[in-house]
Amino acid sequence: MSQSCLDCAQRSDRVFCDLEPSALQEFDGIKSFQTYPRGTVLFREGQTAHSVFLVCEGRVRLSVCSESGRRLTLRTASAGEVLGLSAALSGGRYEVTAEVVDAVRAAEIGRKELLQFLRGHREVCMQVVNLLSEDLHVAYDRVRAVGLTRARHSPSQSAPAR
Amino acid sequence: MLSPYGLDIVESCLTCKMRAERLFCDLPTAALQSFESIKYATAYPKGAVLFVEGQAPRGIFVLCKGRIKLSICASDGKTLILKIAEPGEVLGLSAAVSGKAYELTAETIDPCQVNFVKREDFLRFLKEHSDACFKVAEQLSEKYNVACHEVRSLGLSHSAAEKLAKLLIEWSSKNGESLKQEPRLKLALTHEEIAQMIGTSRETVTRLFADLKKRQILQTKGSTLVIRNKAALRSLATTG
Repeated sequence: MSQSCLDCAQRSDRVFCDLEPSALQEFDGIKSFQTYPRGTVLFREGQTAHSVFLVCEGRVRLSVCSESGRRLTLRTASAGEVLGLSAALSGGRYEVTAEVVDAVRAAEIGRKELLQFLRGHREVCMQVVNLLSEDLHVAYDRVRAVGLTRARHSPSQSAPAR
Repeated sequence: MLSPYGLDIVESCLTCKMRAERLFCDLPTAALQSFESIKYATAYPKGAVLFVEGQAPRGIFVLCKGRIKLSICASDGKTLILKIAEPGEVLGLSAAVSGKAYELTAETIDPCQVNFVKREDFLRFLKEHSDACFKVAEQLSEKYNVACHEVRSLGLSHSAAEKLAKLLIEWSSKNGESLKQEPRLKLALTHEEIAQMIGTSRETVTRLFADLKKRQILQTKGSTLVIRNKAALRSLATTG
């Protein structure tokens, strides 16, 4: 896989990546590309959001954790998704923990650079809104599944945090 | 303008005095003027349903006055209240943006003023005004945060007592009350509605309140709840 977004063959299939040439060029300049082995924690719930991760290849488990260490998987994110977006935009803390399931190739973008990039490219801002809407739909589905079917299913997804 | 529900309706966003305090509404003049031309100011009585879970999205609703209950429902009728929306919130956002059905049901719990914007108008507005687009992204982020919090609370709490304690601590953290020795909060919801917020029965909530009062952790004065033993409530929130 190419380290440059400009040569990426998958770009047109992915909501966030399908950018106008000028935006793509600028985005390519602010991201740092890296490979993360299985088990790597990209970010942890409660940490101040310092950057977002655009998953280029592989899968990442998103989970929430209780004070006692029990963990509940929200979903598994795959290629094309941007992780940590809502926390980075709101300037808050990550709501979830992101842990690499398979080896992942991802582009990391610092919060400050992302915000500057979005201010300069309003069309990308709309893409971000679309991504956040999708994330929210999935989160609401999870609320429904956990909150309204709990009487029938104990939280089998829960496991002690490692 | 006075509406039939006793609301002092603010017809124009341009003259709204609350604008600066509200996340979405504090827009630059050009965006605000554009928003003004596409919104419809409407008033609803208590108990009105703005939209229902599963309905195709017609548009977004900016809550100007009053409070709105946001809930999801199971096929057997079991209801879960996700949040009580307050003025300044934009409802129906993710559905309007994605074109997917509304994920929640929105029902007024007070008489409300709401500014409605049709979906097509709103999407065009967002494309033309990047400042508004940023604010929408912030609101969606906030809603995502609430949804994750809800999943955590519902999925990982051991008991109804733990969930109720967490909810009371969260409510008391507003308006700086949590800094006080004995935080106070106005109970605006019925036991039935509190039960729907923590996914339990009305009977359990009533029993838990009685138990907390008996243990001197809580005290009620009319509709005001006084947390008399913060440490005990916190301990309950972490251990159940």
